[in-house]
Amino acid sequence: MIDVLIIGAGITGSALARELSKYEMTVTVLDKEMDVGNGATMANSAIIHSGHDPKEGTLKAKLNVRGNALYDVLEKELNIPLLKTGAFLVAHNDEEKATLRTLRARAKTNGAVMEEISLEEAFKAEPNLSRDIQEVVSLPTTKVTFPWEVALALMENAVVNGVTFERGQEVIAIHPNGGTFTVETTTDAFDAKYVINAAGVFADTIAGMVETHVPYTIKPRKGEYFVIDRREKGYMNHVIYPIPSKAGKGVLVTPQVHGETLIGPTSLTIEDKTGNNTTAGGLNWIKNEAKKIAQNIPYHKTIRTFAGIRPSIEQYDFYIQESTEVPNFYHLGGIDSPGLTSAPAIAEMARDWVLSKEAFALKTHFTATREKITPFRSMSDDEKRAAFQADARYGKLICKCERVTEADVVNAIHRPIPADSVKAVKKRTRAGAGICQGGYCQHNVINIIARELSIPKTEVNYYNKHTNILVRETKEARHDV
Amino acid sequence: MMYDIIIIGGGAAGLSAAKEAYDPALKILVIEREARLGGILRQCIHNGFGIHKFNLELTGPEYAEKTAEAIEDLDIDVLLKTTVTDIIKFKTFDLTVMNETDGEFHVEAKSVIIASGCYEKTRSQILLPGDRPAGILTAGSAQRYLNLDGYMVGKKVFILGSGDIGLIMARRMTLEGAEVLGVAELMPYSNGLTRNIAQCLDDYDIPLYLSHTITDIIGKERLEKIVIQEVDPHFTPIEGTEKTFEVDTLLLSVGLVPDIQMFESLKFAISPITKGAIVDQHLQTSVEGLFACGNALHVHDLVDWVSEESERAGQYAKAYVTGTLHAHEAKDVIPGDHVRYVLPQKLDFSGQDESTRFSLRSTIKADKGTFKIMQGDTLIMHKKMRHIAPAEMEHLIVPKDKWVSDEPVTISLEVS
Repeated sequence: MIDVLIIGAGITGSALARELSKYEMTVTVLDKEMDVGNGATMANSAIIHSGHDPKEGTLKAKLNVRGNALYDVLEKELNIPLLKTGAFLVAHNDEEKATLRTLRARAKTNGAVMEEISLEEAFKAEPNLSRDIQEVVSLPTTKVTFPWEVALALMENAVVNGVTFERGQEVIAIHPNGGTFTVETTTDAFDAKYVINAAGVFADTIAGMVETHVPYTIKPRKGEYFVIDRREKGYMNHVIYPIPSKAGKGVLVTPQVHGETLIGPTSLTIEDKTGNNTTAGGLNWIKNEAKKIAQNIPYHKTIRTFAGIRPSIEQYDFYIQESTEVPNFYHLGGIDSPGLTSAPAIAEMARDWVLSKEAFALKTHFTATREKITPFRSMSDDEKRAAFQADARYGKLICKCERVTEADVVNAIHRPIPADSVKAVKKRTRAGAGICQGGYCQHNVINIIARELSIPKTEVNYYNKHTNILVRETKEARHDV
Repeated sequence: MMYDIIIIGGGAAGLSAAKEAYDPALKILVIEREARLGGILRQCIHNGFGIHKFNLELTGPEYAEKTAEAIEDLDIDVLLKTTVTDIIKFKTFDLTVMNETDGEFHVEAKSVIIASGCYEKTRSQILLPGDRPAGILTAGSAQRYLNLDGYMVGKKVFILGSGDIGLIMARRMTLEGAEVLGVAELMPYSNGLTRNIAQCLDDYDIPLYLSHTITDIIGKERLEKIVIQEVDPHFTPIEGTEKTFEVDTLLLSVGLVPDIQMFESLKFAISPITKGAIVDQHLQTSVEGLFACGNALHVHDLVDWVSEESERAGQYAKAYVTGTLHAHEAKDVIPGDHVRYVLPQKLDFSGQDESTRFSLRSTIKADKGTFKIMQGDTLIMHKKMRHIAPAEMEHLIVPKDKWVSDEPVTISLEVS
């Protein structure tokens, strides 16, 4: 019998797994995907918000401000990337200026840091701000991270501290047996005392497996983005927010930790929870909106577009509480923005619930830090020499765009959570994330994965099961003729 | 180690440049990232290479071998499995390179020739909408997997873009047992060589959908289907023209881009059209002593022209290090009506002691037309041509005594 079973290895599930790994309990995390953070965690603006935006008195307001502070702790403990950009919130007209006054008051109530800045200073700091802007306030605690890596860092650290991470386990049924649960997946079954639902866009589906009346319905909200090449780094150094509207925070300009700039998102409620396709209409809409806040946007340096799905619900606030129908089942529902920021604080809240159920003791030896692996591209000359002396594969460049060596790839494959697909390697090493988008390195990555895991190349997947890039050897006989 | 000339890239361009740069008195180094010389030709196992250069119809590997043999007995250093990661220039060029034998180290040169080839545009650069499943690759990647590694990437294939690699792969995948359902091309004309349309599509009854593009991609894990639509003259998809193809593989042949980002630290001038360096008639970039040739300079349709251009780059680099080539102020060569680009983009009249060879591409397809080279109002030269197409690079040679002044030059295409 597992003490706590977490469904979903996104940023929330990963943060919770790591938080619970500090205690003497058994924790298992299930995810239907083959890697952490493949849902909403992977595709969003990557911003650690200050907390100026959520309505006063809500969980969103409270957890956002707390979560923002906890990211500084995670940076020290887990070596997560954190870019302390700060943000500008910009208004264009009298109506927006009025909203800005409301937001000033809200920031104060929420405990978010907001500072005044003159237009002149703002334009000096960010020459590419639109000149139609009439008023700006500064949000110095706004930061940017790489959300997927945060989820990975949290889960790797959780695994090092004894948590079991089961990949490719899609939950198909949950059977309550008078206080405990049997959680059935497509291939296995897990018995657990407490089940925590961190299933993102599928949270209501999971909840529906135990509750007659699910207290929330996920209304998937798609956000499309442009990614501008990192060689345009410095185009914008702060996160630029327009004045928010009912539809959300609007189209932002966001510098990213690896140097890219995100332009987006759209905000469209859709039916399909996996409908993360990009659309010509959505991308055009972004261009129209973005020009209100920024000028000279280098769209010709777009390296990618993508879309993510936010697990929004009808209610404004996060739905975080124990099931009213089935005890020992806990909901983390509707974790849309500021979900990334709030995740470490949500983890604390869920932890307190677990501890309220049963007084698990703190572990005597919890490893709070994560081994830092410096990628070749970030090494000093001395570090490069030492790394090469120890492993000649540091001399073999696999991805020229992002300067990834074979050793970087091999290290990723043998981490606590193995990178065993092309995308998993890309996310961990950036091999294939540059301007040629894998055109040069992909065959090398496939070869290395196949070699390191002793599997045929036709079994190396692009990301999930059954996404192999190579379908057959050419000299195999055809059986269909 | 100080070299006179370092050539980056050991494909057709780099090898041709090396051959002509060779002089027993000069120290020359060719740097190649793969384990063998030959570059992209090694995976181009079809024939049709060398008709102009060798008067033979060779396969890619044969052409590569012939080109490599030409430098085999010359005293030229070659570093294989070695990648250049950075270049800076003080008085000389300092190249950061790395390989598995020596790790990261530096080599220096008085002159550098960039012959690093090109890369393929991907789905991202053309902003293809839809899902992002497995099964979407560039045509060149599929060619590599098939011809070098011996693996097929799919069974039912659609191809977007009628670039030559896409056309070649339509035939190659068919021969290897896949079903190729069609090729869609955004433009109203093919972007590949006419001979490839005939030999790779027509001969295999593979339909070519001109003025069509992909407007949706469907598939959660593996590609399941694609939707194409006809486009109007402004490239806007026309409603009601949707056609769906159930395929597991989509190959993209939507353009090539000079692969020179590793060298951007040198800050040489780059053409927004070709995405390669801006050069004068000596193939010298805006950085003195830095030359560029082949697909790293502008994308060629025939390797024969790559060799021709690169041989000249080798000769000029040799002239530069031996002190017989001096850069002076150069005037612009301006693409006029119906001309997309002209190379060289700069002409240095003071050093003009030989005829000038221009390479250019039109913006339109025309049965016949006249290319006109003007200096101000003076017609310097005109040349009538037939079967003009953006996909086919044209060449114009102007004898040195034709120029009337040192004014900028305009080259345009007049279609009657």
